[in-house]
Amino acid sequence: MSGRTRVLMSVIYWAFVVYLFVPLMLMVLMGFKDSKFIGFPIRGYTMEWYLGVFQSAEVINVFIYSMTIAIASTALSLVIGTWTALLLGPHRFFGRAVVFALTCLPAVIPGIISAISLRIYARLLEIEPGMLAIILGHTVHNVPFVALVVMARLSTLPKSQLEAARDLGADEAVTFLRITLPYLKPALIGASVFCLLLSFDDFVRSFFLGSYEPTMPVLIFAKLRSGMSPEINAIATVALVLTAVLGLWAERWNRRITP
Amino acid sequence: MPKFNRRSFMATTAATGAALTAPAYLKNASAQDAKEVNIWTYANFVPDDFKAAFEAETGIKVNIRLVDDQGKQFNLLAAEAPNPTADIVTVAGHRFLQFIDSGLLAPMDTGRLSNWGNINPVYSESDWATINGEKWGAPILSGAEVLAYNTEVVTPEEASSWDVMFDEKYSGQIAYIIQDMMSVLMLYKGYDGNMVAYMDDPDEAARIVTEIRDLMIDHKPMVRKYYDAGAEVQQMFINQDIVLAHAWNGPISKLIMDGFPVAMTIPKEGSYGFVYTLNVANNAPNADNAYTFLDALLASSELGAQMTKSSGFISTYNGASDHLTELEQKASSFTEEELAGLQFFRAEANDMKYKLVDPAVEEVKAA
Amino acid sequence: MTVTERSVAGSTTSAAGDRQTFWGGLVGNGIYRSLTDLIFRSPRRQFLLLASLPVAWVFIAHLGPILQMLWVSFLDSYPPTVGQEPSLTLANWAKFFEERIFMMPFLRTLVFALIVTVSTLLITYPVAYFLAKHVKRKNQMIFLLLLLIPFWVGEIVRTYAIMILLGNNGAVNLVLKSIGLIERPIPFMYTTFSMSVGIVYLAALYMLLPLYSALEKIPNSYREAAADLGAGPWTRFWRVTLPLSKEGITSGCTLVFLISTGFYATPVLLGGPSTTVFAETIAGFFHVAGDEWPVGAAFASIMLIATLSLTGIFLKIMGRDGKGLLQ
Repeated sequence: MSGRTRVLMSVIYWAFVVYLFVPLMLMVLMGFKDSKFIGFPIRGYTMEWYLGVFQSAEVINVFIYSMTIAIASTALSLVIGTWTALLLGPHRFFGRAVVFALTCLPAVIPGIISAISLRIYARLLEIEPGMLAIILGHTVHNVPFVALVVMARLSTLPKSQLEAARDLGADEAVTFLRITLPYLKPALIGASVFCLLLSFDDFVRSFFLGSYEPTMPVLIFAKLRSGMSPEINAIATVALVLTAVLGLWAERWNRRITP
Repeated sequence: MPKFNRRSFMATTAATGAALTAPAYLKNASAQDAKEVNIWTYANFVPDDFKAAFEAETGIKVNIRLVDDQGKQFNLLAAEAPNPTADIVTVAGHRFLQFIDSGLLAPMDTGRLSNWGNINPVYSESDWATINGEKWGAPILSGAEVLAYNTEVVTPEEASSWDVMFDEKYSGQIAYIIQDMMSVLMLYKGYDGNMVAYMDDPDEAARIVTEIRDLMIDHKPMVRKYYDAGAEVQQMFINQDIVLAHAWNGPISKLIMDGFPVAMTIPKEGSYGFVYTLNVANNAPNADNAYTFLDALLASSELGAQMTKSSGFISTYNGASDHLTELEQKASSFTEEELAGLQFFRAEANDMKYKLVDPAVEEVKAA
Repeated sequence: MTVTERSVAGSTTSAAGDRQTFWGGLVGNGIYRSLTDLIFRSPRRQFLLLASLPVAWVFIAHLGPILQMLWVSFLDSYPPTVGQEPSLTLANWAKFFEERIFMMPFLRTLVFALIVTVSTLLITYPVAYFLAKHVKRKNQMIFLLLLLIPFWVGEIVRTYAIMILLGNNGAVNLVLKSIGLIERPIPFMYTTFSMSVGIVYLAALYMLLPLYSALEKIPNSYREAAADLGAGPWTRFWRVTLPLSKEGITSGCTLVFLISTGFYATPVLLGGPSTTVFAETIAGFFHVAGDEWPVGAAFASIMLIATLSLTGIFLKIMGRDGKGLLQ
């Protein structure tokens, strides 16, 4: 690859990073603004908003609640989504197209409709509104993303590897655990990122399926009623830092368990 | 500037001044079984320290579900009917009918609220408040559709009429909520924006909506943004994307309290007002606790003032403004002259009105 | 496991082909029968075990709520008015076809989703390529994490940050003014431009990860071999890299297209007076007038059918319809 393309590529990458980070920087900065509203000019700075986040347990509790929901629904989505991909990927059968379309459905329905339908449906199944209902609701929404991503990866799995494993005497289960699953790992990591993100940032399903405990977006939406305040920016910043710490910890843990 | 809360919209006054007694709700509390009350309301409507004090004194746990608009609240309550988890919901007065027709609210037994008299009768006894011969909610905060303007650019004289929204000078610096603006413009053109007057003449109603729609389409190039949320209009003023807007008084009032150079007025052609009420849900699981809570919340005018400070809307409590600073009073009051032009939204003709207005809104957006 | 089982397992792929049509039909019809078959040890049994959970899940959890929505879309009022039985009607569906004003936002949304998909692809491809091919392997994780961090800010907070970035009195205009490039602020906000800034942000991640994972596993030796054969950089890209990253492109485009038809908050907050998207139209039926639930449901179904059909066509073109998925 020529040097010029290389430079051009790196310029594009860093420009993209700047594009992603500038709004983020503004958000962090506005959390220090001494006013009830974000925006320029900034006449004074204060630590009050950031300190406020830690002074009441509310934000931290809401963060933990949201994170628990996100992690639980992601785990569930990964199992169901991968299982679905394993069915739809290699197998041709009558009704496959129907099952595939049904798998994709929840990703396409507008949030508000999906949320209300799920709420009514949950009542039909006698699932109480609350954490479990939100987890299931998010799982429904996440499964299509997992299935699509895993199917894409699965389609490139060299058949020779599976055959080699069988020739060496591995049965189906062993082949899956030793060959397929490791091969799917990048897709599974990518899908987890999608799921965690979709769940953590979902407002409308959490609102309709939830009970009296707000998730992060529900809290932020409610606070937004009286204006986009530095307080909200401080809350979002703290949530971001906590998420980043959690992510880094997960990454190190992942490195430790995989040689 | 006369204080808003001591006057009536219709220039009627009534003696109120029920003595603000010590927590009268205490005596009811012991009779309750389930020790909780579930409330759906906007952020900052129920003051935190009041909630804590109420819980400590009565032992009733207050669960608050924060909502962000009326539509979601309606749909959620409808999805839960006939056995809602909610005891108290927060409904805007002119949307009562929708909730009542779907059987979502219980009539309010005002006899159980010893502090009912603390509410300014302009709100508690107003004609919109009584439907099917019953009261349906306790008014807590009141709002108005106002003309808001950046005082460094627009003069109060210019802002004295809705005409300014069509002034080429401010082209590209104007924002409004289409749906609400439609009612306001009907009034501006001399029609009844509630459309109650045309209930027997649907053709005339349709003609009026078409006229207003065309007016909006003609001036669409001047509009910077059709917005939805109060936070949006605040941000547009701060970012100087707009200098003029139709808005609800609450969000603008909060900008004024923060020292931003913005003002609001009810122009001479008049405008519409609405009232947020707390309502007991039909089949509420803890109805007794709900009444205990409402009575406690209505107990002192200071609570009313607190709600005004945090929401920007005007308290319906007698004497609430005595607890506000001068800036806060200024930010949450209108002159006698302005109030003369203010009337409440009414719901009687809503069926007909919104069948006409909703498609018109789509057409304006699509134009 | 025994040797016999192993040989049975080994023949799954070939043997299953004959019977799957039949058994697939069975599964589609009744989960119960598939469960009773579990006692048989055969490729069939394995397939049914594999099919049971996904099929049960999509029918119960995915289809259930949708049927709920479909049912409501045929009612004349919902939630029901007290003392009135709702009756069945086609009016809610007809409304879409009768009134032309709804066609505009509908078509706009589809075209818009297409544009979003293509432009996100064009923007993120070089980024993913740089990441996968130019960054040293041990640094790739860090570079990727760097890109992932900003997505963890909620959509709403991020969108307001974009507002104070692009507003007339926003960061960009303030900087341009202070360096003397402009005298009057440029109105970036509430235009197609501001909307794109927000939307690409929203969609980029869903394109970036599949692209990266596809590009990352193309062995460098392939390109080197092409170079040895005398292929120039462009030829190498067109003939080697691009075809080999097709799987990533397909999956990224599908994801982005699916989610971009449903974008709501960002276009509402950053768009202008004439950029109404269909999700906004649908939300309007709930936001303003609650008893328009049935119309909203009908419109959502229409969007659903359109999006799924387009995705199906796209996958067909990209060769993902059947044979492509794992031989």
